[in-house]
Amino acid sequence: MNIQANQPAAKLTVAETALVEAFSAQIGDLPGNGAVAGTRDRLLDDLKNAGLPTRRIESWHYTDLKNLLRSVPEQVVGTKVSSVAPLVKGSTVLSVLQGEAHADAEIDGVTITAFRDQLSDGSAVAGLTALDKDDAIGRLNGSFVRDGLALVVPANAEIEDVIELQASHREGQVHTRFPVSFGAGSKATVVERHRSETDAAALVSSISDITLEDGAEITWIILQQQGASDTHLAQIRVKLGAEAKLRLYVVNAGGKLVRQELRIEVQGEGAELTLRGVNLLGGDSHTDVTLVLGHNVPHTNSTETFRNVIFDKASGVFQGMIKVAPDAQKTDAKMACNTLLMSDDGDFSVKPELEIFADDVICGHGATVADIDRNHLFYMMARGVTESKARAMLVNAFVAEIVEELEEEKLVEPLEEVISTWLEKHA
Amino acid sequence: MLEIKNLHARIAEDGTEIIRGLNLTVKPGEIAAIMGPNGSGKSTLSYILSGREDYEVTEGDITYNGESILELDPAERASKGIFLAFQYPVEIPGVATMQFLKVAMNEQRKARGEDELTTPDFMRRVKEAAEQLKIDPAMLRRPLNVGFSGGEKKRAEILQMALLEPTLCILDETDSGLDIDALKIVADGVNALRSPDRAVIVITHYQRLLDYIVPDTVHVLYKGQIIRSGDKELAQELEANGYADVIETAA
Amino acid sequence: MPAVQETIDQVRGIDIDQYKYGFETVIEVDKAPKGLSEDIIRFISAKKQEPDWMLEWRLDAYKRWLTMEEPTWARVEYPKIDFNDIYYYAAPKNVTGPVSLDEVDPELLRTYEKLGIPLREQEILAGVQTSKVAVDAVFDSVSVVTTFKKELQKAGVIFMSISEAIREHPELIKQYLGSVVPTTDNYYATLNAAVFTDGSFVFVPKGVRCPMELSTYFRINEKNTGQFERTLIICEEGAYVSYLEGCTAPQRDENQLHAAVVELVALDDAEIKYSTVQNWFPGDKEGKGGIYNFVTKRGDCRGARSKISWTQVETGSAITWKYPSCILRGDDSRGEFYSIAVSNGHQQIDSGTKMIHLGKNTSSRIISKGISAGVSQNTYRGQVSIHRRAENSRNFTNCDSLLIGDKCGAHTVPYIEVKNQSAQIEHEATTSKISDDQKFYAMQRGIPEEEAIALIVNGFVKDVIQQLPMEFAVEAQKLIGISLEGSVG
Repeated sequence: MNIQANQPAAKLTVAETALVEAFSAQIGDLPGNGAVAGTRDRLLDDLKNAGLPTRRIESWHYTDLKNLLRSVPEQVVGTKVSSVAPLVKGSTVLSVLQGEAHADAEIDGVTITAFRDQLSDGSAVAGLTALDKDDAIGRLNGSFVRDGLALVVPANAEIEDVIELQASHREGQVHTRFPVSFGAGSKATVVERHRSETDAAALVSSISDITLEDGAEITWIILQQQGASDTHLAQIRVKLGAEAKLRLYVVNAGGKLVRQELRIEVQGEGAELTLRGVNLLGGDSHTDVTLVLGHNVPHTNSTETFRNVIFDKASGVFQGMIKVAPDAQKTDAKMACNTLLMSDDGDFSVKPELEIFADDVICGHGATVADIDRNHLFYMMARGVTESKARAMLVNAFVAEIVEELEEEKLVEPLEEVISTWLEKHA
Repeated sequence: MLEIKNLHARIAEDGTEIIRGLNLTVKPGEIAAIMGPNGSGKSTLSYILSGREDYEVTEGDITYNGESILELDPAERASKGIFLAFQYPVEIPGVATMQFLKVAMNEQRKARGEDELTTPDFMRRVKEAAEQLKIDPAMLRRPLNVGFSGGEKKRAEILQMALLEPTLCILDETDSGLDIDALKIVADGVNALRSPDRAVIVITHYQRLLDYIVPDTVHVLYKGQIIRSGDKELAQELEANGYADVIETAA
Repeated sequence: MPAVQETIDQVRGIDIDQYKYGFETVIEVDKAPKGLSEDIIRFISAKKQEPDWMLEWRLDAYKRWLTMEEPTWARVEYPKIDFNDIYYYAAPKNVTGPVSLDEVDPELLRTYEKLGIPLREQEILAGVQTSKVAVDAVFDSVSVVTTFKKELQKAGVIFMSISEAIREHPELIKQYLGSVVPTTDNYYATLNAAVFTDGSFVFVPKGVRCPMELSTYFRINEKNTGQFERTLIICEEGAYVSYLEGCTAPQRDENQLHAAVVELVALDDAEIKYSTVQNWFPGDKEGKGGIYNFVTKRGDCRGARSKISWTQVETGSAITWKYPSCILRGDDSRGEFYSIAVSNGHQQIDSGTKMIHLGKNTSSRIISKGISAGVSQNTYRGQVSIHRRAENSRNFTNCDSLLIGDKCGAHTVPYIEVKNQSAQIEHEATTSKISDDQKFYAMQRGIPEEEAIALIVNGFVKDVIQQLPMEFAVEAQKLIGISLEGSVG
């Protein structure tokens, strides 16, 4: 806290320097009015002064970004990227291709705007913020964001078809934003998908601003399938109104250096969050999922379950903090993080935190890290299933169980497909 | 068919010797009952036959159809036709029962060099077997053994046995936790599988199950050894007089 | 829920000044001048008649300390400490080290009597106390007496103040001091290395089971004095010792600093059981005064199959910053941490443990029970780390927090780091309040509310209390009751 207050700014790393230079190079054509430009300047200044976070910053304890982000790829313009078939058949696809939004689809009653327009007219400025003094992603994205998709779902709208927000790129830098608000009592299912067409290096930053007004019931699925050389820095900002119900599913199955922050504020009484995560890590990737969940008012519930599978030399991190504000009585929050470590060269670190200022609560977390259950393995082998096949089935079951909770077959099947395809490739 | 010669085995972790010089022969078509008081090594024997890692054989041999099986892993033994109906079938969340059955059947077929079953053929077999054992098809859509009652688990074990068509069935305390109706269904299932080239080892503490699955031979296991063998009358004798007499005579 | 509201109101209404050890002993003292400098360190070293190598060791630590920064990661808040406004050495006049009981100032003996600490061997032998416990009594900066030394010597056990040990067993000190907590370890441990004034030394040779419980009793008496003790316990192959530690201080308006270091070394098949009942003055109901307790405790399971077990009952101190840890270096070694941390009034606790698994088949167990009341903040912070080569390692952690009243906070911050596939880690944590159902049930059976709550709290901490030696268990249970008086109605 009182540390480093008067110290001179440390020397910039290669990546930090590249970011500062990229900013000066792009400044002329970054969209936005005067207010936006001013905010960008300020955020970049903060980024420069604080530097990329190191492990001395508690919230980045296991992801020393300063050290891990070695270089920043050049901004690439004019690359052709095409969209692909949606995850769920029959979805309405809205795409952002190599950072450029295509807001051309129509969904009944839903206002769809390219985020660059909100930058140009300055209406985006309120959202260009860092959430706290260590919010490197907020600063980075706020400085560089060019486009994205803004959706407004009106009150009581019931959107039948799944909406897929599809962000695809080939290489270079992509900084996008997805502000989506769901009106009171509305119902919808959204797939937010991040994918790369190549294994060429890219730096992606993405912030989703999700607001659920009172009584909205939303399923939001994030599928991260970035390329094997990509850095993916994402933030999901969520606000839940009274009686709102959010099912948030996060599947990470790609990327080289991934930091995914879930910043969720439960702000209305009776709100309910179901958060599920599946992290499939392989190669020499580093994936960090960091959750900060605030239960800010009385009578709210949440359950969080994360399942992680680590192969090869992958390194995984889960940090999950549940905060219960003073007076947020009757909060019921349960978090679980289970990890299967499939390789001696891989590692996993878990930091589940509880920060509780109200007494009449039921809060808990559990974490396990283990190999496959030997009893399960023996049972299957005693039925004639070979060891490698039995292992594969058990790993699949370990993560598929989470996906099955979605219950809707049209969502479960394609996600299970993603998981088994990934496992076949890596196991 | 099955030949156990001077078998000595211990718990791998702490070296406790459980089986101390056991001899047993089971012929094709035979139903052999292994009885004994708690802690005599009955369940251990079933685990050793099916190849559980937690036990080490220190002496002796087990041959199956003339070939030692000690070096085989559980899956290889299963493919050779050895089936263990578990006393406590484990719950495996996330693995659907149907999916598991299909993989197990096909893996065994593959190991034996047979073709995989087509899906309709597989479905038909499961449906038939399930009907016979009065198993609700809804149960098969659930994850393996998860949330099954004690009786449902035992029936599911027998269903697997029927589908996998083993040549040696080991029933480990299959009667425990079953009411009389369930017991009859399970026994009928086992009896239906009786054939001249299939042997069954029934491990049980009580004579009750043997009223329904009538054994050809009865062996008393005590402190890791067979201390007495006889026919089905021996089981009745044990039921009437308890194990004390037999143990005393053997000592 | 009228009953709950009533309890909360009572918490607010009642004075938490229940500290029964807050008296001051009036005795002539010998003090070093206030402040910290090389001269002060030379002064301390000279007072202790230390050899030159020890002075060098201290001065090195001091130089290092000057370059270090106070850690800020713990969830505790306090005004900046002025390290030059503290006396680093204070001793009862004419006492530079332990003497025989007959020579001890009667005023000091009366102090320990009032604290309930038996120093007179004959009384203990006459059955005043139920079982034999050897005591090393540390008063401010010096050890005033160590009991049962002769009897322990017969068994081959060395139990003496660390100042004596530096003079009498320099080879053991050179070999082991700073080998578990290096002088560079952390801000407070480094400060301690520079200025420690006394503490206990225990050496249990190969194959010896220490014939009685050993115990050190720490008392801070002087105003503005820091207490910096250093304890070193070594168990050779196959040896065993159970060691107890107790602490109190007078009630004062100023905060006082206590920065201790405890090092444990267990060789092959050795076992050390270390129990603490920490009851330093916690400050008054306004949060004024109280001890700042910044302690580094670490055990090294250096040998195969060795075992170190920490049990702590923390009820005192304004601030507690303490993480008794185990380095599980030897194959098949085992570490345990059992903790009860009670915070009331304005107390702040940030405490927990570290289990560092380096050897194969190592296992650890963590049971932590936090109880927060008043406007206190109570944080469990713990690390379990399984290193690459620690095949088949196991950890089980259970940490539960209980909140009494809605003005306090309970926090849980575990760090779990696994680098070996065969590891088996299980961690669970819960936070809740005393269940209304349980309370109602007890009350319906005729138990008054206050007792019902005490009953439930006792049940909540039972797993840890069971780990304490019998005499300590009774004492600890009483202490928890007293600490929560006023909070539980």
